[in-house]
Amino acid sequence: MLHSSTAAGAEARPKAKNPLLDAWHGLLKNRMAVVGAAVLLFFILIALFAEQIAPYPADEQNWEHILEAPSAAYPLGTDSYGRCVFSRIVYGSRISLLVGFIAVAFSAIGGGIIGACAGYFRGPLDNVLMRLMDVLLAIPSILLAIAIVNILGPSLFNVMVAVGLSSMPSFARIVRAAVLSIRDSEFIESAVAIGDSTPAIILHNILPNCMAPIIVQATLGVASAILSAASLSFLGLGLQPPSPEWGAMLSEGRAYIYNAPWLTICPGVSIVLIVLSLNLFGDGLRDALDPKLKQ
Amino acid sequence: MQETILSVRDIRKYFPSGSQVVKAVDGVSFDVYRGETLGLVGESGCGKSTTGRMTIRLLDVTSGSVLYGGQDIATLKGADLRALRCHMQIIFQDPFSSLDPRKTIGDTIGRPLKVHRLAGRHERFERVLELMERVGLDPNWVNKYPHELDGGRRQRVGIARALAVNPEYIVCDEPVSALDVSIQAQVLNLLQDLQQEMGLTYLFISHDLSVVKHLSNRIAVMYLGKIVELARSEDLFASPAHPYTQALLSAIPIPSIGKKPQRILLQGDVPSPKNPPSGCRFHTRCPYATERCRSEEPCLREVQEGHHVACHLVK
Amino acid sequence: MEKTDIQENNLLQIEDLHIHYMSEGREIHAVNGVTLHVNEGETIGLVGETGAGKTTLALSIMKLIQKPAGRYAGGRILFGGEDLLSASENRMHHIRGNQIAMIFQDPMTSLNPVYTVGDQIAEVIALHGHMHAKQALERAGDTLEMVGIPRERANEYPHQFSGGMKQRVCIAMALAANPQLIIADEPTTALDVTIQAQVLDLMGKLKRELNTAMILITHDLGIVSEVCDKVAIMYAGRILEFGTLEDIYLHPTHPYTLGLFNSIPKLDQKISRLTPIKGLMPDPANLPEGCAFAPRCDYACPACTKTCPPGEAISPTHTVACLRHRELASEAGRN
Repeated sequence: MLHSSTAAGAEARPKAKNPLLDAWHGLLKNRMAVVGAAVLLFFILIALFAEQIAPYPADEQNWEHILEAPSAAYPLGTDSYGRCVFSRIVYGSRISLLVGFIAVAFSAIGGGIIGACAGYFRGPLDNVLMRLMDVLLAIPSILLAIAIVNILGPSLFNVMVAVGLSSMPSFARIVRAAVLSIRDSEFIESAVAIGDSTPAIILHNILPNCMAPIIVQATLGVASAILSAASLSFLGLGLQPPSPEWGAMLSEGRAYIYNAPWLTICPGVSIVLIVLSLNLFGDGLRDALDPKLKQ
Repeated sequence: MQETILSVRDIRKYFPSGSQVVKAVDGVSFDVYRGETLGLVGESGCGKSTTGRMTIRLLDVTSGSVLYGGQDIATLKGADLRALRCHMQIIFQDPFSSLDPRKTIGDTIGRPLKVHRLAGRHERFERVLELMERVGLDPNWVNKYPHELDGGRRQRVGIARALAVNPEYIVCDEPVSALDVSIQAQVLNLLQDLQQEMGLTYLFISHDLSVVKHLSNRIAVMYLGKIVELARSEDLFASPAHPYTQALLSAIPIPSIGKKPQRILLQGDVPSPKNPPSGCRFHTRCPYATERCRSEEPCLREVQEGHHVACHLVK
Repeated sequence: MEKTDIQENNLLQIEDLHIHYMSEGREIHAVNGVTLHVNEGETIGLVGETGAGKTTLALSIMKLIQKPAGRYAGGRILFGGEDLLSASENRMHHIRGNQIAMIFQDPMTSLNPVYTVGDQIAEVIALHGHMHAKQALERAGDTLEMVGIPRERANEYPHQFSGGMKQRVCIAMALAANPQLIIADEPTTALDVTIQAQVLDLMGKLKRELNTAMILITHDLGIVSEVCDKVAIMYAGRILEFGTLEDIYLHPTHPYTLGLFNSIPKLDQKISRLTPIKGLMPDPANLPEGCAFAPRCDYACPACTKTCPPGEAISPTHTVACLRHRELASEAGRN
């Protein structure tokens, strides 16, 4: 009898909502986030279909067309070696996105594990891990990256490692804070009470519940990773010429800033656009995933 | 003579807090008999939840022993500890935080079966549906998430999860405190029904004395990490012996008008468990405290058959 | 005759009040036609479960309903003959604290952690009593002593007080401007039972001494019987039963009131099994037609699902909103 009455009561209850679907609707309502997502998608498509889009190979030199202004043949002009700037930008988007995503994946996984362990076990382990992260955090991240690249030598992989390592502390901190707030919940205690093992609890109960801050931090992290990688290359410590890295292009174009401004404007605008789009999208994600900021 | 299912002997739990130590539980002993409900009451911070958690090894004891089935569960490790989880379970207070928001009802209830490999996949699903029906949940909700349920139903999910492994001893930690009275009555009835049908033994922790009295066969009253009185439910309410119990009982607002017992108002607040008073811990607020109470700690002794009191003044 | 009786010492008159608010695109009907009169010096207990609209009703008297989400959808509130719903925000600011004060469930949220309690109480006094700071501080000390806190503690900060003491400070703050009406929203729910006894004792004492009217919101019928003169039982935004303590505790008539009494374990009787109210609170955005309690009521008849029963006086002090109250009363009489 009790049973039937509870079932009848169910019809009167509000319609169920999926939190992720809810977040998605929240995101769609945020106009700036949608713009960010669109620009980001645009760059991802360019990177994926670089071969089809770029009219020339990235490092094809044409000595007859040096430092040419934008034209029909060269949409964004050519550089001092006669290479097509547009093609280089298109191929360069691959490098930037790759560096951004892989460096962030690296720091998210590393920082995530460190933060989760520190938050879950607390005590001395927490102290050791977080003080280590504090040491990393105390060094300006770009200086840290420069130091790492200097030791390991400039290469695409080393840039990823350097950028990833320097952004690891912020991930560790965010994950630790999220884990700390969740690990005292009674549902974690109940998982212990039914005999779940510690790794299972971390993977099964804790990490899924701190995905929201991790996703947000990752999105914003990609933006700063792209920026750091570009800065390293600009300083000559990242990818070496002739690879079409935006930061390296910017650096090369610097010498011709008065007679061939497109050499600096094009990679510069590209960097600004992709970083801005990621930040807008990340901000929107944060608002959408944080119920407290919702109206 | 009743069969003892669980024997708690002089358990203590000290938590470090900065440079000090919080003595949350400081020497508690009691027996739990098979099939009974032992009520554990006290005000916030008296250590009742900590005690309950130590009896099922959800918290490690600082010292003392918890004897269950002839072994001290305080020293169990690995597979033995995991096996223990099938015999002892807990129902939590807060139906909002005790369920993982990202797991469906079915996942939550089925998880213990999966952890202990008690059933195959299909069987497990059947068992989950059966458990849901048992606690009065519509099996059609097996795929719903906790936020889609109201407090009472969430509490039923928590009960179903505890029952999944077929335990014999369940710690109920304030299971109805967060619920409205009409829903509270439904859940209390469910707990009673389950106890009768499955022969469960409850340790029922609550600050609500009327609820504890309603369910319990025996009641232990805690104050600042110690049991001050332990007696059969009727005896405790008919003739409370410890001054704290007397004050506690008289403080309950009774929903009736007309004659009411004289209220004993205690002075001041509960002292901090970081620095409990010497002697009898209640002496700072006790209207009858003597010099002896301030210096010598009273032990829990039997003053009548089944009626234990820790007070120097009780003859 | 009844009319003149009401106007004699009537302090607060709520007439057919409706409050709706929007939440996630749905219109929540929080208060649906509440009529409630509070006389000077009288304590009224407002009893109901979560979602009954008790707090919304309390906030509406202070005109603290958040706009634009919430709106007054009908009715009026007269305080000392003055229509609060048409009063200006300036006027309301004067009334709040000065004439109507509020005590909240969680004392921590109503105390500012960075000022001493003395300063906070003195501020209320200075604001509303047009007094110098020094005088106000002196008065703050008096107020603290009235609630049983030594005046030396006026220089301490909220975190130095325990939960029960904080609630005393809140009571002192509410009393500081000598209001005519205090609205206390679950003032002891967060406190332990022995501390609750202290606070209830204090509230009872102050009530007798100061003759302040009070609306006490609670879910605990025990507390009501300790402090209140009259009781209003609320469900789904309506008052289902209203009467003196004797009316409600000795002659409960509405099936919901009876259900509440049967749901609570009694200390003075041995009951082996409780009789809960079946089902759940209705969705306030989608209230059933007719009597909102009908789907959970054991005595519901077809008419109950069609007509919303008006409050009917069954004695000069006792009002019940139930279509079948006469049959139920005679049935109860026979048993």
